[in-house]
Amino acid sequence: MNDTADREIVVSHVVDARRDVVFEAFTDVRHLSRWWGPDGFTTTTRSFEFRVGSEWDFMMHGPDGTHYPEWILWREIVPPERIVLLHGEFRDDPNAFDSFFTFEELGDRTRIVMRTVFPTAALRDEAVEKYRAIEGGRQTLRGLADYVTGVSNTDR
Amino acid sequence: MARAATTSDGFNAIAEPQRREILVRLRSGERAVGDLAHELGMTQPQASKHLRVLREVGLVRVRGEGKLRLYDLDASGLLPVKEWLGGFEQFWHESFDRLDEYVQDLSRTRREDGAHE
Repeated sequence: MNDTADREIVVSHVVDARRDVVFEAFTDVRHLSRWWGPDGFTTTTRSFEFRVGSEWDFMMHGPDGTHYPEWILWREIVPPERIVLLHGEFRDDPNAFDSFFTFEELGDRTRIVMRTVFPTAALRDEAVEKYRAIEGGRQTLRGLADYVTGVSNTDR
Repeated sequence: MARAATTSDGFNAIAEPQRREILVRLRSGERAVGDLAHELGMTQPQASKHLRVLREVGLVRVRGEGKLRLYDLDASGLLPVKEWLGGFEQFWHESFDRLDEYVQDLSRTRREDGAHE
C-alpha cells in the first residue's frame, strides 16, 4: 500500500503540445516566468540555474500586491520525462516538500502528473491553507468557468 | 421525515461517481440525455434522474430543442466546491493552464525558427 497517501497531493493535467516542448517550458526562467502561478501572478527571479543541485530563487507577486518568497532546488532532471524538485520558501526551508513531475506522451499532447509528497500530513494541510490564501479573493466565476470547461473554443 | 436531501448541494451531488462522470462528459459541450445514458451504460431514466439532481444544485443547465433536451455544464454550482478544495491543486491547475497557453506560442516559434534555438 501507498504509505504516503495521507500526505501527498497529485495533480494531473493534459497540455495540448508535444512533450519536448512542454518539458522545455520548465527548463529556462524566461519560460517559467511566463506561466508559473495562477492568472495575474508574476515572478521576479533572483537567481536561476536549471541543473541538478542548483536553485531557482524568486519572488512571486499576487495581483493584490502581496509578495511570496519561493525557492526551488532541482533534485532530478530526466529530459523530457521527469523532473523532481524541492519546493520551499527559502534555502534550507525545513517545511520544503518534494514534487515529482512526470511528462507522458499522448500523441501530440502531454499529460503532466505532479505528485507532491509533504513531510507530514499536517504540513500538507498547512500548504493547502497557504495556497488557498494565495488564491483567495481573486476568483471570478469567469475564471471558474474557464477552469471547469477547459480552454474556450474561441482560443483555438 | 425531515431529513435533508442527500442531493441538496454541490458537494452531495458530486459525491455520486456517475454524476461526476456526467460532468466530465459535459466538459466538451452540451449533450442530449440519450447520448449520455448510452455512453455511461445506464438507462435514460437513470441518466435523467442524475441530471435532475445536477440541475437542482446548479451544476448543469438544460434547454429544449424540439423534442431534445440538451444539458450543459453550469460552473456556478461548483464554486463552493472549488473554494473548499482551493489551494494547492488549484494553484497548479491554473499554472498548467497558463503553461498550456504559453507552449502554444513556444510550439509556433519552434516551427517558425526551424532548427534555430
